[in-house]
Amino acid sequence: MTVAPERAAGRGTTPLPPPAQRLSWRDKLGRLDTKYTPYVIVAPFFVVFGIFGLYPLLYTAWVSLHEWQLIDGDQGFTGLANYTELLSDKNFWNALGNTVSLFLLSTIPQLFAALGLAALLDRGLRGRAFWRAGVLLPNVISVAAVALVFAQLYGRDFGIVNALLGFVGVDPVDWRASTWASHLAISSMVMWRWTGYNALIYLAAMQSVPKDMYESAMLDGASRWRVFWSITVPSIRPTILFTVIVSTIGGMQLFVEPQLFDPGGTATGTGGDDRQFQTLVMYLYEKGFRLFDAGYSSAIAWVLFLVILVVAVVNFTVARRIASKG
Amino acid sequence: MSRTLVGRTTSITAVALAAALVAGCGGGGGDAGDGKIKLSIGIFSDFGYTNLIKEYQAAHPDIEIEQRTVKMEQHHTQLATQLAGGRGAADIVAIEEGNITQFRQSKDKFVNLADHGAKELEGQWAAWKWNQGTTDGGNFVLGLGTDMGSLALCYRRDLFEAAGLPTDREDVGKLWPTWQDYLKVADTFTRKTPNVKFVDTAQNVYKAILDQTEEGYFAKADDSFIGDRNDKVKQAFTLAASLGEKKQTGALAPFSQDWNVALKQASFATTTCPAWALALIKAGAGDEAAGKWDVAAAPGGGGNWGGSFLAVPKQGKHPKEAYELAKWLTAPEQQKRIFKETGNLPSEPAAYQDPEVTSTKNEYFNSAPVGQIFGNSAENLKPTYRGTKDSKVTPVFNNALSRVETGKQSTSDAFDQAVQEARDAAK
Repeated sequence: MTVAPERAAGRGTTPLPPPAQRLSWRDKLGRLDTKYTPYVIVAPFFVVFGIFGLYPLLYTAWVSLHEWQLIDGDQGFTGLANYTELLSDKNFWNALGNTVSLFLLSTIPQLFAALGLAALLDRGLRGRAFWRAGVLLPNVISVAAVALVFAQLYGRDFGIVNALLGFVGVDPVDWRASTWASHLAISSMVMWRWTGYNALIYLAAMQSVPKDMYESAMLDGASRWRVFWSITVPSIRPTILFTVIVSTIGGMQLFVEPQLFDPGGTATGTGGDDRQFQTLVMYLYEKGFRLFDAGYSSAIAWVLFLVILVVAVVNFTVARRIASKG
Repeated sequence: MSRTLVGRTTSITAVALAAALVAGCGGGGGDAGDGKIKLSIGIFSDFGYTNLIKEYQAAHPDIEIEQRTVKMEQHHTQLATQLAGGRGAADIVAIEEGNITQFRQSKDKFVNLADHGAKELEGQWAAWKWNQGTTDGGNFVLGLGTDMGSLALCYRRDLFEAAGLPTDREDVGKLWPTWQDYLKVADTFTRKTPNVKFVDTAQNVYKAILDQTEEGYFAKADDSFIGDRNDKVKQAFTLAASLGEKKQTGALAPFSQDWNVALKQASFATTTCPAWALALIKAGAGDEAAGKWDVAAAPGGGGNWGGSFLAVPKQGKHPKEAYELAKWLTAPEQQKRIFKETGNLPSEPAAYQDPEVTSTKNEYFNSAPVGQIFGNSAENLKPTYRGTKDSKVTPVFNNALSRVETGKQSTSDAFDQAVQEARDAAK
């Protein structure tokens, strides 16, 4: 726009020499190129996101405002009725409580364990590649297989965990029956799968911490413990924030592990006989795909989305503060 | 100018991408390039169709049949989403008896098989089986019956012997003409061998008792919820729960991993067994238990548990050909053959009364005359009415029984909570 008057002036009075004009065209194209090409290149992502992310998201919102039977579809607009019903649904609050409990039980120990594991891997271990690949293995194995194995480990009558507890004189635990036992069992499954993965992310970040910082700290006589908390952790702060956010999103959407832990499976499973380990997504699945109430299920999906947003923001703030203090 | 240029580029990219995506998504179903009609059939577990399909293709060179098998618990959910999305469903789909009520209310997504002349087949099936597959007072034929479950009771001979009980299947059947008698046998058994559970789970006992009543959770007349005031429900629940209260059950989720392990370890002595459960017991208990399990008549007369139907979703391209195939697959001749090959019990008198079927014995189960036992049970059947929302209410009561078995709740507390939850689920 700014060049327009200039050009008009040029055309009106003495014509500019042709080469100069060509140059300015090429110039402009070049500028356009540097300015807009990045947008063109990232555009496909947004198009795909729009089709597979945004559209379903908005459609879900639309469905949640209706009485909507899964197969037969729209049964009439009901406004926010699904949401008001949800707020007074004790199964929903139960599922929310279970989700938060499982999230805290699995994520906090997991991230600390991952930090410790990464610190160990960061030292000069023999067979480094082996150990590093090893910690990722649990994550590579299919979650269904992991759940199957853990379901057997935590078997009530013939499980290995109960057998081991028996050696130290503890009575067998019915791992699926009580709230705490089931939450511990499921959390252990989640930790098993994700600790190594997070450890590798931390390790990558730790390796980019300048070595001279460690050296000068050592010269000053700082202990390993002190060095870890005063240099390593603050240096990888952005990475910690990243893993906290990702774990939050994953933790709040916890589904496969508890669902497969339920002997009722996906067909009749309600997260235990008293919904003691039913998570929000499991409740969503029950409502939408077993009871065919797609409207209500969509409302749960949207509330879940908002809950994740809130929890992620809270986590972000808290984690940033902790990391900066360290 | 620059703005529109970029705008155009992005919109072209978008259109190209969208086109590519749409093209990628499409292409489901359709016909083979060679002019053959392609039919798909969506089933779960083993329907025994593999050989029959080959035969059918040989007789109909213009038809090509693809069999799609998924796990039972995924099958019906998948079908529901395919019906909702209007695409992706097979030309013929199997629907299990416990789930068909749910699909009945979405009948407009299915072809009315009466339009293709299904009504003239009615006489093939036991009347109750035919009725389960129809709706609208019999005017809408949703599905053609495949197998049925019937009902018997399986027991372990060695464990019965250890408890001083008879082991002969006739004598065992006489021990429990009613479910009350079954409970008495349980008490005797537990007194003699307190470390072995009498039955795997209260849930299956409950289901067996309830399925022998004419009405369960819903009224036959108007499909309304009566689970809270139908005495039969409470009676069945109390009977089954009393086994749990006395710790005579293994408190196992039916057919779960733990259930399989318990079978292997011989930690329970009886289990309700529809015909299709024989294969599951055999697989769980393994070869070393061959001849130890046996089959006796179930308390309370006959019953049915399970069995399926073949339906034709409307979204398919070849409803007529699909119907013809379904009709052939469910005809008595084919049902008889399936029984011989897989053990799935026929649902048509012409098949299950056939000497070939009634004379069949199951070697693994101490050579029990399963053809006869299950056939008789089916003859004495008083079909129970299943409401549209039956499958929503059932898990609620199963959970309640589980809470009694694990000692979390008393029978009456568990029942009260279940009734409360069932009312919500049936809303």
